[in-house]
This record gives sequence, structure tokens and C-alpha cells, in this order.
Amino acid sequence: MEPKDFKEIKTIIDLMKKNDLSVFEIEKEGFRLKLERGPSGQAAAGAPLPMAVPAKTATALTESTPALPKAIESVPLKEIVSPMVGTFYRAASPDGSPFVDVGKTVTEETVVCIIEAMKVMNEIKAETSGVIAEVVAENGKPVQFGQALFKVR
Amino acid sequence: MFEKVLVANRGEIALRVIRACKELGIRTLAVYSEADVDSLHVQLADESICIGAAPSTESYLKIDRIMSAAEIGDVDAIHPGYGFLAENPHFAEVCESCNIKFIGPSSQAMQAMGDKNAARAAARKAGVPVTPGSDGIVETESDAIKIAKKIGYPVMIKATAGGGGRGMRMAHNEPSLQSAFHSARHEAEKAFGNDQVYLEKLIVNPHHVEFQIVADSHGHMVHLGERDCSIQRRNQKVIEECPSPLMTARLRKKMGHAAVKLAKSVGYENAGTIEFLVDQDRHFYFIEMNTRIQVEHTITEEVYGCDLVKEQIRIAAGEPLSEHVAHATPRLHAIECRINAEDPAKDFQPTPGRIDFYYAPGGRGVRIDSHVYTGYTVPPYYDSLIAKIITVGATRINAIERMRRALDEYYITGIKTTVPFHAAIMRNGEFRAGNYDTGFIERVMSSEKLDLTSPPIRLHE
Repeated sequence: MEPKDFKEIKTIIDLMKKNDLSVFEIEKEGFRLKLERGPSGQAAAGAPLPMAVPAKTATALTESTPALPKAIESVPLKEIVSPMVGTFYRAASPDGSPFVDVGKTVTEETVVCIIEAMKVMNEIKAETSGVIAEVVAENGKPVQFGQALFKVR
Repeated sequence: MFEKVLVANRGEIALRVIRACKELGIRTLAVYSEADVDSLHVQLADESICIGAAPSTESYLKIDRIMSAAEIGDVDAIHPGYGFLAENPHFAEVCESCNIKFIGPSSQAMQAMGDKNAARAAARKAGVPVTPGSDGIVETESDAIKIAKKIGYPVMIKATAGGGGRGMRMAHNEPSLQSAFHSARHEAEKAFGNDQVYLEKLIVNPHHVEFQIVADSHGHMVHLGERDCSIQRRNQKVIEECPSPLMTARLRKKMGHAAVKLAKSVGYENAGTIEFLVDQDRHFYFIEMNTRIQVEHTITEEVYGCDLVKEQIRIAAGEPLSEHVAHATPRLHAIECRINAEDPAKDFQPTPGRIDFYYAPGGRGVRIDSHVYTGYTVPPYYDSLIAKIITVGATRINAIERMRRALDEYYITGIKTTVPFHAAIMRNGEFRAGNYDTGFIERVMSSEKLDLTSPPIRLHE
């Protein structure tokens, strides 16, 4: 890295301390930098990559880099939202077992729930992949268009 | 009386319906798109359900989602407002089959009058004069030419599935008729999914005069006089007044009688409007019927002393026409200006965006029907109507002076609106003299530089 880059990074670290920020992350044109302040208040540089590294090498570096200190719950959870207006049911029948529970792995095609609209039982697919982190909607309660049903990691 | 009503619309008319329901002690359920989350009517409704993404086709036109919301909300009736599904016979039918009362006419009456060409046929059958034109759908270009030769140029080619000023083309001679015929059909197919057109003689510079009718489910129908809606821009109404400056007691009696006769002949119920064109010799011709409550119902309310939306709800609930409506007589004069989020200095280009500051005029005889407020963002997905300002006066000139005064107080910043345009029309000599027809706005816009400056009031924002 060039001296100029160090100067910039130091400025960022100072700004973080001054404004009591704990994470700074920037990604731009093949360059990615993440700074995370540890408990002692010192900034810990997390896997900085040199600027303008050819993409191939950059990927290799990312892969071989030791795992970063666990990212703060900064990975936003994805949401499965309702595509229609109706009543939300977790299982296919009143005494059936729920389609999914917290911890279940889903793919885009996994049926996660039923939304009943006008007496028609519609099977709702996850349309995303990951692990169910939270069941947001309440069983047997009405849901509207766009309302969050599940959170997925 | 209903316990709960679903309002299947948005903007100012949704607010209008909710107000009527609240005054009648009826609970309300608003359905809205993601773009209308912060809408005033959604806040004021007792309950609300989001039914889809911003585009109308993904929300306000989604019959299945609206019915699902109606089911969840356990409503007794649905008010469709105007536009959207208000004149959709299939929607009315779905409501009927779900045992939810559609606040409006039956799907059959709607169908009979919604097809513009069939409505003309019904008018002819009822002995109501229609504009000279084709006896039905014009299938081929050569038929069009033959008919045009017979009735005389200029002619109008109109889509039978059109309405609200859309799906119309003019032709002044045979060569222009040939191209207009085909492009009108093409446009109609794209806009309405139906390319059928019919021909009408173009009446030069007519007055557009429409009659309000109201009918209960016990066979009692009355008309509540006329509204003059000649002040139009590109076939869209911008200013309406009641009564019409060219009306006489005798002509009102004749036209009112014709309107009621026609509506009765199709078994019409609830509120509706019969539109006529009146030529320079005061001959009137039926053009179409609107099977819904209209934007400009307000001026009839002010002049005839009634609440038309409440009356719609009462009628739908099976009650007979209210006494005061059945025996209403016109008093006073009312004018309505439609305030749009458009820039009159830039050919009325739409101006969606955030209203930074909103102050509406008040005082005696000023009525504002509007859903907007300071900080509200006008979405780009729907029509540009943001407010209706209605003034009432003892005489026509009083109503005009009051409108001019009120418009000068109307303060809206953040977006451009047509307030200054209306203020300029209120000062226009031809308008003030009542000498106008449907060509008025075009003449005014093309001939003179309208003074669009607003008065220099500055409110702290």
C-alpha cells in the first residue's frame, strides 16, 4: 500500500474514534476495507486489501484471509413478505405440522406457509435461500400485501 | 344501515367517502398501495390493508386482493369511488356474488350504459335525442366514409369501450378520416382492449352539460339539475359550474326529463350522470352516461343542498330517497376548480413531489375537498388531482369573485400547481360573461399570455 493510503486510513480511524463509530466498511473498484474498533478502543484493521489488485488475486486473498472477528449483527436478515392479502397459516391443516420452523434451511422453491384468500389456500414459496431466523407473522392472523412473514439469514 | 364499508379508491374521493361514512356512524376499511402508506384517508380510516405495489394494476385494480381485504375486514359494502373499478361491471358482479353490497348501480345497468354505443342505442330507443352518427359499430373504413358523407364533416371517431374523454379522434375530411379511423381503433385496442368504434357528428364548440340523477331501489328517481363542464383541456374537465350559464327553466325541464327517462329505461339505481352536448341553438344531444359518482358532484351538493355520497350509501342500504333530495330545488350558484399537480407554464407537465407547505383558503362559501397536507408527497403513479376548490355565491358573479379571492389565498409550495391558471381564468372576460364552450381553454392558451403570477404572500415554512 502507498503512504497516501495509510494516511487516509489513519484519518478514518481518528474519525471513528472521535465520533464513537465501531465499524467502517468501504468497497470500491476491487478494493475493500473494513475497520472494526475492538474493546480497547483501538481500531483493528480487518483484512485490508491492497488497492487496484487484479480481481483474480483479490478473490484468492479474500478466500485465504483468516475469518474476520465475527461481524456485528451487521448482516441484514432477508425478509419473506406476503405477495397477497389473506390469512397466514403455518401448516397445511389445523393439526398439521408447520411447513418451516426457526433453523430450517430453505431454498427458493420451499413452501414456507399458506395464505388463504377467498377460501383458496395459496402455497407461498420462500423465493430466497437461507435459514429461517424468525417467524414474524402470527398463525391464523390476517396479513396484507408486503407484510413480513419470516426473516431469513 | 351498513356497519362497515370498504373504500376501494384513493386520494380525495377516498377521503370524501370516509367522511360520509363517519358522519353516518359507519366503520371504514381503507385499502391502499405501497405508494399511499402516508395518505390521509388511510390514517383516518378505522382499519387499513395494503393491497399491493404502487402501480394501479398491482393494487387498486386488483379485484382479488380487494375482495380478500373485504373478507378479512368483514365489510358489508364497498364504495368504488370514481375511476379504477367504479365502472367495471365484472367487479360489481363479484361483489354481488360475494354478498357484499356494491354502492352504485347493478352490474347489468352498468353494462347497459357503460358500452357507449349500446348507451346511444338505449337513448334512441327511449326517444332521447342523440348526436347524429352511426347506427352502431363501424366495422370498415369504407363504412366510415359512407356514414361521414351522410352526416357531414367534421366527425368524431369514438371507442365504444372508452369514456372520460379518452379514445376519441376527430376527422375534418375524407383523407383524414381514413387515417384517424385506423389509429383510433389501434389506440382503443391498446387502451381498452376493445377496438370497436362508432362515429358521431362533431358538434362545433358545444357546451358540455350533464344532469345528475339519483334513484333508490324502490323505483323513485329524480334529477338534481345540471352542471356545465365545458371548460376542458384535452377533453379533461378543469372547471365546472352549477347551474349552467346557458340554461333556461324550460330547457332544464326538457333535458332533466330526458335524463330520467333514459336512466329509468335501463333500471338504473343509485347516483349517475347523463352527459349531453348543447349546440349554439340550444339543441341537446345525449353522448354518454357515467354510472358512478363524479368528481364534480360537489357543486350539485352545494346548489341543491344535499350530500350525494351519503345518499349513495343510504340507497345502497335499501333506504328510500331522502325527502330533502326528492324535493330539492336549486339555490345559489357554485363553481369548482380542479387543482392539479401540473405546471401551467410548462404545458401542464405533471409535477409529482413533496408539498413543502400547504395552506388552503377558507371563509364563507369556500369548500376544499383535498387529501394533501404539508409534507405530503404527491406520487407519480396516479392522476394529478390534488384538490377541488368549490365556491358558492348568491349569484354567478359572486361565486366567481369568491373563487378569485380564495385562489389568491391558496398557498402551495414544493410543487407547481394549476392554482394560478384557475385564478387567471376567473379574471378572464369571456369566462366571466359565461361566453364559453368546449373550445375555450384551447383558444385562451393559444391566443394570450395568461398572467400566472401568484400574489406575493409568503408564509413561514
